[in-house]
Amino acid sequence: MSAPIYHLEQLSLSYAASASRPLHAALAEITLTLAANDFIGIIGPNGAGKSSLLHVLSGQAIPSMGQVLLTGRPLYRFNATQLAQRIASVAQINVPALGLSCWQVAAMGLLPHKKWFEHDTDTDRQQIAMALEHVGLFDKQQATTDTLSGGELQRLYIARALVQQASILLLDEPTNHLDVQYQHQVLQLLQQLGKTIICSMHDLNLAARYCNKLLLLHEGRVQAFGTPEQVLQPDLLQQVFALPCEVTVHPTFHWRQVTFLAKDMFYTNAKQAVL
Amino acid sequence: MNTAHAFHLPVKLILLVLLLVISVLLSLTIGSVDVSITQVFKALSGQVSEPLIDTIIWQIRLPRLITAIFVGAGLSLAGAVLQNVSRNPLADPYLFGLMAGAGLGATLVSIVFPDHVISLALAAFLGALLAVALVFMVCVGSGFKKMEMTLLAGVAVSFMLSAISSFILYFAEPFAANRVIFWLMGSLSRTDWTSVGLIAPAVFVLLLVALAVRRQLDAILLSDESARSLGVNVQRLRLVLLLLTALVTACIVAQCGGIAFVGLMVPHMVRYFMGVTAVPLLLGSALFGAIFMLWVDNLARSVLSMQEVPLGVITSVIGSIFFLLMLRRQLR
Repeated sequence: MSAPIYHLEQLSLSYAASASRPLHAALAEITLTLAANDFIGIIGPNGAGKSSLLHVLSGQAIPSMGQVLLTGRPLYRFNATQLAQRIASVAQINVPALGLSCWQVAAMGLLPHKKWFEHDTDTDRQQIAMALEHVGLFDKQQATTDTLSGGELQRLYIARALVQQASILLLDEPTNHLDVQYQHQVLQLLQQLGKTIICSMHDLNLAARYCNKLLLLHEGRVQAFGTPEQVLQPDLLQQVFALPCEVTVHPTFHWRQVTFLAKDMFYTNAKQAVL
Repeated sequence: MNTAHAFHLPVKLILLVLLLVISVLLSLTIGSVDVSITQVFKALSGQVSEPLIDTIIWQIRLPRLITAIFVGAGLSLAGAVLQNVSRNPLADPYLFGLMAGAGLGATLVSIVFPDHVISLALAAFLGALLAVALVFMVCVGSGFKKMEMTLLAGVAVSFMLSAISSFILYFAEPFAANRVIFWLMGSLSRTDWTSVGLIAPAVFVLLLVALAVRRQLDAILLSDESARSLGVNVQRLRLVLLLLTALVTACIVAQCGGIAFVGLMVPHMVRYFMGVTAVPLLLGSALFGAIFMLWVDNLARSVLSMQEVPLGVITSVIGSIFFLLMLRRQLR
């Protein structure tokens, strides 16, 4: 196992009560160690705490109890710039700003490394060009973001994260709204980066295919953490997602494949099998 | 590589600087007394033989032109900064109800306290600050997270202070009311070197601070969350820039009255011709705003004989036509 990068101790996160909502516990008593260079998928139903956990890991949400250690040091001891030098976040919805070019968006990644009035150097420009090349957008460097497809946009934000030179990448449902081709394209790209990738995902089969670790959350608590083989257990998934399911193994590639069945379909099939 | 953009920007900026210099020289020849361009050069280099020309250039026209430059640059810069930090293309330097606040200050000092305990400019400045303070009191608790709320608070404060001014003006004697109304329409006729001394430092500070945080201004264009993930303290950035733009606008309003549409229109034109990122936008807005205001003032001084047209009238006419044309272009 690689060196630990994050350590969470008895971490809880509650959102304050408002007129429309009572006190809400998003995360409860999470104790966990995440290793460097792992590709970790956070899975679980809606409201399980996936996005909240990403917010805590990025330092944008402050835990109500417990603490987060980043490379052995409490997260709150890092200032915003130091965090941005280590952690790059790609939010779920990134609305493209009209008129900004791909180059300009990727160049934003330089921000945490630059002082006031400091200019871009040739090395910086080379780094931006390499990042765009890496995500396959070098030829579109002058294209404005509103002309990009969803997949290209997601890759552009990954290029920005590369320019940011952060060793940790946090992504909130990076494959949302993407068609099958772009889903695989983006995940393959992430897999090849050689960084610590932590992303929330809804598609369990994609998570099983690309992540080497899965974290299953339910009602803010950790239900399971381990390899896809350890986490994707039918009983566990049925309990968390409240749906019967089958877990099979791909005959050639040995990936786990999860098939959820509608409740009535499951009982009909079971009944037929008995008869 | 990004050579295309890197090459074009300096060229465009040099062209704008040249245009500004030419505009200043030509503007110095425009006025009720005929002054040739040769006399302008001689006066500027201290070689003029006629003291009258020297006085006209140095004491009347030059301070007014330089004030026009800083008023145009300041309003355009303030508009550009506000539109970026709020991600709202309709944000305008007067969004905090500054104009209504200044109007109330001017009305009070001209009509209710005609003995002029304080000058009209100072009263207008204090009125503008009152408006800003009211908006900030409402919004500071939320940390300016929802910029649309700030804009709406500005609208509400604006209506409230305007209502008070209208009430006072309704009962005022017509001559005094006319004076306030003309002042509210904007004019550079009362400006002198003191005006330059008050407005220029505020504009320079805003430009310097905005250029210093140019990367943060670009990052905020995507979303607050995206900017935060790059290490930007969004709330602090917004607060500092809102305060600075309010200060610049209050200084301008106090000296020159209300000059509408410049802060709204110029950044839009600059984005179209020069780009959306902070450096071209800020420098382009400052230069283009200065040139625009110079020519608007020339027009205001020369379109009617023996009388000046209020600046706000000209900028509103040009601005509204420009906006309608831009909307039609976008809707196609």
